[in-house]
Amino acid sequence: MREKILCPVCQVSFLLREEKKDGDEVICPVCGAVLIMRMDEEKRHLERPPDMDPEEEIRRRMDNFAKLRTYHFNQMKNPLIEGLLAKRERFGDFYCPCKIDHVQENVCPCLETRMGSVEQNGKCHCGLFWKEPPKNGEK
Amino acid sequence: MKKITLYALSTCPFCRMAKGYFDKRDIEYEGIDVDMLNEKEKEETIQEVQKISGRRAFPVIVIGEEVIVGYDELRIGEVLDK
Ligand SMILES: [Zn+2]
Repeated sequence: MREKILCPVCQVSFLLREEKKDGDEVICPVCGAVLIMRMDEEKRHLERPPDMDPEEEIRRRMDNFAKLRTYHFNQMKNPLIEGLLAKRERFGDFYCPCKIDHVQENVCPCLETRMGSVEQNGKCHCGLFWKEPPKNGEK
Repeated sequence: MKKITLYALSTCPFCRMAKGYFDKRDIEYEGIDVDMLNEKEKEETIQEVQKISGRRAFPVIVIGEEVIVGYDELRIGEVLDK
Protein backbone atom coordinates (compact mmCIF):
# COMPACT_ATOMS: atom_id res chain seq x y z
CA MET A 1 0.00 0.00 0.00
CA ARG A 2 1.22 3.46 -0.83
CA GLU A 3 1.66 5.91 2.01
CA LYS A 4 0.95 9.57 1.91
CA ILE A 5 3.82 11.97 1.66
CA LEU A 6 4.07 15.46 3.15
CA CYS A 7 4.42 18.58 1.02
CA PRO A 8 6.94 20.82 2.81
CA VAL A 9 5.32 23.92 1.27
CA CYS A 10 1.59 23.59 2.05
CA GLN A 11 2.03 20.94 4.79
CA VAL A 12 -0.65 18.71 3.27
CA SER A 13 0.03 14.99 2.80
CA PHE A 14 -0.93 13.45 -0.50
CA LEU A 15 -0.75 10.10 -2.30
CA LEU A 16 1.85 9.78 -5.03
CA ARG A 17 0.28 8.88 -8.35
CA GLU A 18 3.35 7.03 -9.56
CA GLU A 19 6.49 5.49 -8.12
CA LYS A 20 9.32 8.00 -7.76
CA LYS A 21 12.98 7.45 -7.06
CA ASP A 22 15.58 9.54 -5.29
CA GLY A 23 16.09 12.86 -7.08
CA ASP A 24 12.87 12.70 -9.12
CA GLU A 25 10.70 15.76 -9.44
CA VAL A 26 7.22 15.70 -7.85
CA ILE A 27 4.52 18.37 -8.19
CA CYS A 28 2.34 18.84 -5.12
CA PRO A 29 -1.28 18.29 -6.28
CA VAL A 30 -2.53 20.67 -3.57
CA CYS A 31 -0.36 23.79 -3.95
CA GLY A 32 1.57 23.13 -7.15
CA ALA A 33 4.99 23.28 -5.48
CA VAL A 34 7.89 21.78 -7.40
CA LEU A 35 9.50 19.23 -5.09
CA ILE A 36 12.30 16.67 -5.16
CA MET A 37 11.97 13.12 -3.84
CA ARG A 38 14.63 12.10 -1.32
CA MET A 39 15.25 8.60 0.03
CA ASP A 40 17.35 8.67 3.18
CA GLU A 41 17.86 5.32 4.93
CA GLU A 42 14.61 3.89 3.59
CA LYS A 43 12.70 6.90 4.75
CA ARG A 44 11.44 8.98 1.88
CA HIS A 45 10.51 12.61 2.01
CA LEU A 46 10.00 15.58 -0.29
CA GLU A 47 12.12 18.70 -0.26
CA ARG A 48 12.11 21.97 -2.12
CA PRO A 49 14.59 22.03 -5.01
CA PRO A 50 17.74 23.32 -3.28
CA ASP A 51 19.43 24.74 -6.36
CA MET A 52 16.48 26.17 -8.24
CA ASP A 53 16.44 29.89 -8.96
CA PRO A 54 13.80 31.48 -6.65
CA GLU A 55 11.97 33.14 -9.52
CA GLU A 56 11.75 29.86 -11.41
CA GLU A 57 10.54 28.07 -8.28
CA ILE A 58 7.68 30.49 -7.56
CA ARG A 59 6.71 30.89 -11.22
CA ARG A 60 6.47 27.15 -11.69
CA ARG A 61 4.55 26.76 -8.43
CA MET A 62 1.93 29.39 -9.35
CA ASP A 63 1.63 28.11 -12.93
CA ASN A 64 1.06 24.58 -11.60
CA PHE A 65 -1.49 25.80 -9.06
CA ALA A 66 -3.37 27.81 -11.69
CA LYS A 67 -3.46 24.76 -13.94
CA LEU A 68 -4.69 22.49 -11.12
CA ARG A 69 -7.58 24.86 -10.36
CA THR A 70 -8.07 26.33 -13.85
CA TYR A 71 -7.36 29.84 -12.63
CA HIS A 72 -5.97 32.64 -14.75
CA PHE A 73 -3.38 35.40 -14.50
CA ASN A 74 -3.40 38.97 -15.76
CA GLN A 75 -1.08 41.98 -15.81
CA MET A 76 -0.80 41.80 -12.00
CA LYS A 77 1.30 38.65 -12.29
CA ASN A 78 4.73 40.20 -12.77
CA PRO A 79 4.44 42.90 -10.08
CA LEU A 80 3.26 40.18 -7.69
CA ILE A 81 6.20 37.96 -8.55
CA GLU A 82 8.46 40.91 -7.69
CA GLY A 83 6.63 41.27 -4.37
CA LEU A 84 6.99 37.56 -3.66
CA LEU A 85 10.72 37.66 -4.44
CA ALA A 86 11.13 40.69 -2.14
CA LYS A 87 9.35 38.79 0.63
CA ARG A 88 11.61 35.80 0.14
CA GLU A 89 14.70 37.99 0.17
CA ARG A 90 13.68 39.82 3.34
CA PHE A 91 11.76 37.18 5.28
CA GLY A 92 13.01 33.86 3.93
CA ASP A 93 10.00 32.49 2.05
CA PHE A 94 7.38 33.33 -0.57
CA TYR A 95 4.92 34.95 1.82
CA CYS A 96 1.88 36.70 0.40
CA PRO A 97 3.01 40.18 -0.73
CA CYS A 98 -0.24 41.74 0.54
CA LYS A 99 -0.19 40.26 4.04
CA ILE A 100 1.91 41.30 6.98
CA ASP A 101 2.31 37.97 8.75
CA HIS A 102 5.21 35.77 7.78
CA VAL A 103 3.63 32.48 8.75
CA GLN A 104 3.24 29.18 6.95
CA GLU A 105 -0.43 29.72 6.02
CA ASN A 106 0.55 32.86 4.09
CA VAL A 107 3.06 31.10 1.87
CA CYS A 108 1.88 31.47 -1.73
CA PRO A 109 -0.56 30.00 -2.72
CA CYS A 110 -1.83 31.01 0.73
CA LEU A 111 -4.29 28.97 2.80
CA GLU A 112 -7.34 31.15 2.08
CA THR A 113 -6.61 30.80 -1.63
CA ARG A 114 -6.25 27.03 -1.32
CA MET A 115 -9.54 27.02 0.65
CA GLY A 116 -11.40 28.61 -2.26
CA SER A 117 -11.32 32.41 -1.90
CA VAL A 118 -10.98 32.70 -5.71
CA GLU A 119 -14.29 30.85 -6.15
CA GLN A 120 -15.94 33.26 -3.72
CA ASN A 121 -14.41 36.57 -4.76
CA GLY A 122 -13.36 35.99 -8.34
CA LYS A 123 -9.72 36.47 -7.38
CA CYS A 124 -7.33 35.83 -4.53
CA HIS A 125 -6.73 38.71 -2.15
CA CYS A 126 -3.63 39.92 -4.02
CA GLY A 127 -5.08 39.56 -7.50
CA LEU A 128 -2.62 36.89 -8.59
CA PHE A 129 -5.13 34.10 -9.28
CA TRP A 130 -8.37 34.95 -11.12
CA LYS A 131 -11.39 32.82 -11.82
CA GLU A 132 -11.96 34.29 -15.28
CA PRO A 133 -9.37 34.99 -17.97
CA PRO A 134 -8.62 38.69 -18.58
CA LYS A 135 -10.97 40.25 -21.10
CA ASN A 136 -9.58 41.46 -24.40
CA GLY A 137 -8.53 45.07 -24.30
CA GLU A 138 -8.62 45.15 -20.54
CA LYS A 139 -5.57 46.84 -19.13
CA MET B 1 -11.55 67.85 2.54
CA LYS B 2 -11.72 64.41 4.09
CA LYS B 3 -8.60 62.98 5.67
CA ILE B 4 -7.26 60.03 3.70
CA THR B 5 -4.97 57.36 5.07
CA LEU B 6 -3.59 54.55 2.97
CA TYR B 7 -2.18 51.59 4.87
CA ALA B 8 0.07 49.69 2.48
CA LEU B 9 2.88 47.16 2.14
CA SER B 10 5.90 47.95 -0.01
CA THR B 11 5.55 44.53 -1.70
CA CYS B 12 1.87 44.79 -2.65
CA PRO B 13 0.94 45.89 -6.22
CA PHE B 14 -2.65 46.91 -5.36
CA CYS B 15 -1.18 49.18 -2.68
CA ARG B 16 0.99 50.81 -5.33
CA MET B 17 -2.06 51.25 -7.57
CA ALA B 18 -3.90 52.95 -4.72
CA LYS B 19 -0.99 55.37 -4.26
CA GLY B 20 -1.04 55.99 -8.02
CA TYR B 21 -4.78 56.71 -7.91
CA PHE B 22 -4.31 59.54 -5.39
CA ASP B 23 -1.06 60.82 -6.92
CA LYS B 24 -2.53 61.02 -10.42
CA ARG B 25 -5.44 63.11 -9.16
CA ASP B 26 -3.33 65.29 -6.86
CA ILE B 27 -5.32 64.11 -3.87
CA GLU B 28 -3.54 64.57 -0.59
CA TYR B 29 -3.24 61.45 1.54
CA GLU B 30 -1.07 59.92 4.18
CA GLY B 31 0.55 56.77 2.82
CA ILE B 32 2.06 54.34 5.31
CA ASP B 33 4.20 51.40 4.19
CA VAL B 34 3.54 49.34 7.28
CA ASP B 35 6.31 46.82 6.58
CA MET B 36 8.88 49.62 6.51
CA LEU B 37 8.06 50.96 9.99
CA ASN B 38 10.20 50.16 13.01
CA GLU B 39 9.04 47.21 15.11
CA LYS B 40 7.13 49.19 17.70
CA GLU B 41 5.32 51.43 15.22
CA LYS B 42 4.66 48.43 12.99
CA GLU B 43 2.96 46.47 15.78
CA GLU B 44 0.81 49.46 16.74
CA THR B 45 -0.15 50.17 13.15
CA ILE B 46 -1.04 46.53 12.43
CA GLN B 47 -3.26 46.53 15.52
CA GLU B 48 -4.98 49.61 14.18
CA VAL B 49 -5.43 48.13 10.70
CA GLN B 50 -6.87 44.97 12.21
CA LYS B 51 -9.25 47.00 14.35
CA ILE B 52 -10.61 49.03 11.44
CA SER B 53 -10.61 46.37 8.71
CA GLY B 54 -10.83 43.10 10.62
CA ARG B 55 -7.91 41.76 8.60
CA ARG B 56 -4.15 41.77 8.46
CA ALA B 57 -4.03 42.24 4.69
CA PHE B 58 -3.46 45.32 2.54
CA PRO B 59 -4.24 47.89 1.21
CA VAL B 60 -6.66 49.43 3.68
CA ILE B 61 -7.86 52.90 2.76
CA VAL B 62 -9.58 55.21 5.23
CA ILE B 63 -11.41 58.19 3.77
CA GLY B 64 -13.06 60.26 6.48
CA GLU B 65 -15.16 57.71 8.36
CA GLU B 66 -15.22 55.15 5.55
CA VAL B 67 -12.97 52.11 5.41
CA ILE B 68 -12.16 50.46 2.08
CA VAL B 69 -10.48 47.07 2.29
CA GLY B 70 -8.51 46.21 -0.84
CA TYR B 71 -8.07 48.40 -3.91
CA ASP B 72 -11.52 49.26 -5.24
CA GLU B 73 -11.39 52.25 -7.60
CA LEU B 74 -15.16 52.52 -7.89
CA ARG B 75 -15.62 52.54 -4.14
CA ILE B 76 -12.83 55.13 -3.68
CA GLY B 77 -14.47 57.38 -6.27
CA GLU B 78 -17.90 57.02 -4.62
CA VAL B 79 -16.59 57.81 -1.18
CA LEU B 80 -14.60 60.82 -2.44
CA ASP B 81 -17.67 62.17 -4.26
CA LYS B 82 -19.92 61.87 -1.22
ZN1 LIG C 1 1.91 21.54 -1.40
